[in-house]
Amino acid sequence: MRFFILNTMKQQEFFSSRWALIIATIGIAIGTGNIWRFSRIVAQNGGGSFLIPWVIFLLIWSVPLIIAEFAIGKSARFGPVGAISKTAGKQFGWMGAFIVFVSSAIMFYYSVVTGWCLRYFFSAASGDLFNTSDHLIYWNEFSSGTGPLIFHFIAMFLVAFVVLKGVTRGIEKVTKLLVPSLLIILLTLFVRAVTLPGAFDGIKYFFTPDLDVMLNYRVWLNALTQNAWDTGAGWGLIMTYAIYMKKREDISLNAALIGFGNNTISIIAGITIFSTVFALSTTDAMIQVSQSGPANTGLTFIYLPLLFSNISSSSSLNTVFASMFFLALFFAAVTSLISMVEMATRTIIDFGMKRKRALIIVASVGMLLGIPSAMDLKVLANQDWVWGVGLILSGAFISFSIIRYGVDKFRTEFINGFGSDVKIGKWYNFVIGILVPVQVVVLISWWLISSVSWDPEWWNPFHSENLGTVLFQWGIVIVVFILLNKTMVKHIFNEKSESLLSESK
Amino acid sequence: MDKLTIITALIVLGIVWGGLAFFIFRAVKYEKLKTENGKEES
Repeated sequence: MRFFILNTMKQQEFFSSRWALIIATIGIAIGTGNIWRFSRIVAQNGGGSFLIPWVIFLLIWSVPLIIAEFAIGKSARFGPVGAISKTAGKQFGWMGAFIVFVSSAIMFYYSVVTGWCLRYFFSAASGDLFNTSDHLIYWNEFSSGTGPLIFHFIAMFLVAFVVLKGVTRGIEKVTKLLVPSLLIILLTLFVRAVTLPGAFDGIKYFFTPDLDVMLNYRVWLNALTQNAWDTGAGWGLIMTYAIYMKKREDISLNAALIGFGNNTISIIAGITIFSTVFALSTTDAMIQVSQSGPANTGLTFIYLPLLFSNISSSSSLNTVFASMFFLALFFAAVTSLISMVEMATRTIIDFGMKRKRALIIVASVGMLLGIPSAMDLKVLANQDWVWGVGLILSGAFISFSIIRYGVDKFRTEFINGFGSDVKIGKWYNFVIGILVPVQVVVLISWWLISSVSWDPEWWNPFHSENLGTVLFQWGIVIVVFILLNKTMVKHIFNEKSESLLSESK
Repeated sequence: MDKLTIITALIVLGIVWGGLAFFIFRAVKYEKLKTENGKEES
């Protein structure tokens, strides 16, 4: 009876159309990782040698997990805690809580990064960015001052305002404006970049494979990591947006559109950056693209501003191009941040709280817990390391919950159920039941074993990027959620039933 | 540009961009069908 009530519930809000859902979900997937991380990783992994495995992992990691998230969210109509409880069993609700926590922990510092992008947009638009001769000093002065803190607050406030408006009037409306604008800006920059004299060398490097490099297992692991980190697969965010998809909406075709759309943007951004760097760089272009800088900021906030000052002979045109680049970066970051705030908010709503109050809690906690990352890049790098790898574990939990439910049953009932345009074949059982778990085990092991070699005191939980800090922080979160599991699950399902019963009266 | 570079570009762009175009085309087709079949009213 309870399940009948749950499944026939009347939801208050839905995305108005398939395209609105796709645009909002593409907004999740396209983030700063497509623009700055992708280019850096391509450069570090031999250009074209990286692209082939990267495309393969799009097919065997990203798209299957996006399908899984859509199907779980659409069928359960809960945030990750309730959704994983319904799919894997109530004793595994803590896995959903872990998924929420990982994305929320990323939200805390991602808001800081979003603030950086906004600040650099203002700097570029005002011309201030080009008044400096040393962009490293400019960056250091900004990052060590109060600027990151102020812009972190502004970013979180803006996003909270959007989420407060709800799914249709807030998230859908804003992403419908920002995602197409981001595409137009990126395409404009793309056209300018590929028409620069010398740009062809960048494009050539981008697509030239080195077979020896391609046989290196590190290239494959980096390709998988990039897919895991930049498509939004396994974060629980798509699962949250799927709550608001209409019953007649398709799953598999939409998932493919998002995965392929995301990687298309990465290629456009990659060609743009490689063309610009190869055309304008006076020193070794490859060193500039692949250098990390503090918290991996080197290329975007230090070197690209320098290049933008030479993109044409007109200083006002240079200002326009630089402003467009940082505005695109800001839009990409904001649309992802919106989904992180919505996921945390939705999870609290599932516990019976009203949206406004839930959002105030999420935004306040977000502002507060983002402060350490805004004040200290080492904290940001630590959180990025711990929860970045945590995302792979989140993906594993999603895969685990489907295996628990029965992969074939899940495929036929949820993915190929009502509304599906394209039926998914039995290959999906193999991918989600075997390939994804294998990828998870290999990837987590590789990252953690590698981290031992970076730090002689690999066990020390208070070091920035090592095994100890990962296990320590994961351990605390997992133990707390396992202890709270019964209470969480009981509360969510009781609240849902009560609210539905009162609705049906 | 050597052959290998051209082949890699064709494979990558063919799969990613070609795949996206293919899925957009199919989604548009199914949306049209759904509208024609009156599924929008449900």
